[in-house]
Amino acid sequence: MRRIEPFLVMLVVLAAATPSDAVPYEPKVGQRHADFTLPNTATGKPVALSDFRGKKVLLIQFASW
Amino acid sequence: MPVWHEGTAKWVKDGKLVLLGVTQEQHADRCRLLAQWKGFDWPILHDPINVLEATAVPLLVAIDEHGIVRSTRPALATFQADFLDKTFTDDAKGGRANRITPALKDGERSPDWDALRARAKEVGDAATWRELGDALALWGGDKHLDEALDAYGRAAQLDPKDGPALFRLGVCYRQRSETTGHRPGDFQAAIAAWGRALDLDPNQYIWRRRIQQYGPRLDKPYAFYDWVETAEKDIRVRGEKPLPLAVRPGGAEIAQPLKALPAPPAEARNPDPDGKVHRDKDGLIQAEVTVVPARVRPGQAVRIHVVLRLDPKQQAHWNNEAEPLRLWVEPPAGWQISERLLQAPAVREAVSGEERALDFEIKAPKEAQDKVRLDAFALYNVCDDKGGQCRFLRLDVPIDVRTLPADNPSKAEDKK
Repeated sequence: MRRIEPFLVMLVVLAAATPSDAVPYEPKVGQRHADFTLPNTATGKPVALSDFRGKKVLLIQFASW
Repeated sequence: MPVWHEGTAKWVKDGKLVLLGVTQEQHADRCRLLAQWKGFDWPILHDPINVLEATAVPLLVAIDEHGIVRSTRPALATFQADFLDKTFTDDAKGGRANRITPALKDGERSPDWDALRARAKEVGDAATWRELGDALALWGGDKHLDEALDAYGRAAQLDPKDGPALFRLGVCYRQRSETTGHRPGDFQAAIAAWGRALDLDPNQYIWRRRIQQYGPRLDKPYAFYDWVETAEKDIRVRGEKPLPLAVRPGGAEIAQPLKALPAPPAEARNPDPDGKVHRDKDGLIQAEVTVVPARVRPGQAVRIHVVLRLDPKQQAHWNNEAEPLRLWVEPPAGWQISERLLQAPAVREAVSGEERALDFEIKAPKEAQDKVRLDAFALYNVCDDKGGQCRFLRLDVPIDVRTLPADNPSKAEDKK
């Protein structure tokens, strides 16, 4: 049986992988936080994490239950 | 959250810190009410589909002036010394370069729909269909729910192991079930999609909580929205008007957890034992049944939601001057039921057209298998506006409950 070259396997894996196929996003110390834009619950207007670049931010994810 | 809200208030006021909230919640207005009650005056963003991929909440992340994560478990006692008073350099070591959420057009509240649609069709993989679904679900509003459902449905079909697509599919079904464009089976389809997602990742607590929100008390970690009434009362005492809620939480959403299902009241009597009450042959009322979770394990419980609505194709309304709507349920032998006779709350107006929701729980015996049918019926007073007749009628509501083998992971079903 013909041996599959490791670099070919790697290429196939890289081609198949997209960020959304990866494990859930997890913020890691020392890494830049991925940017996101979501609607403000009060106004519906878009707010991005990057809107606050230059300021220190405490990001709090919570639920209202 | 209140601890951090109060503990950081001075730094926020002095401009040293930004508090940025993200709520993992379907209903933005419930979060608005919570914020009003607690005095949260910082921006809170809405993530109904868990696009940030949190596996549990609360989750706190300290992010410096360069956008670099400095702590994922900050402590209030050392927050100032460890984070706030420090000056950081831009020394990021990697991280996800792309955005988590769809990009918006400059200065607008919407993404480039056409580009996303074209890309989904051209690339045609699960990820691009999911991305289109995300854009529609986050920024499209109710009018784009059908298209979001189609996009997530395609993603889940292309990759049946795409848990986020399945979860978000369920969110959109549940959202549509609360709109005027709801279709029969939307709620059950939401529960089925969430169940499939949870099968893929049983450690995803955001997904688990959505099922538990509507599920049996035996499986609840806490009452989800029992705070709403207290919040509204406290806000009124302050002389303010509580922010309104589009969908008021009730039933399962405010039920307290239980360790054991109590016996149903012994005095309950079948209100039509011989089946003499005339059936609703004209279909003035339609019933929709949802079982949560979609299948039950032997020895465990499900919560059954029965919603009764006036058929929009008919011209009819509830008559509230006589006795209220009742639902009688006959449990199969060996199954324990929370209530056999349920009654809808009284309505002040003589006539009305609202939908009426009744829910109860049933626990399967340890030897339960396959499928059982609960014989149930509703009795109500309804007026047919075309003929001008008001009648007392019965609607039979058969309820099927499917069981799972005791030792296999749950297998929820797709919407039929």
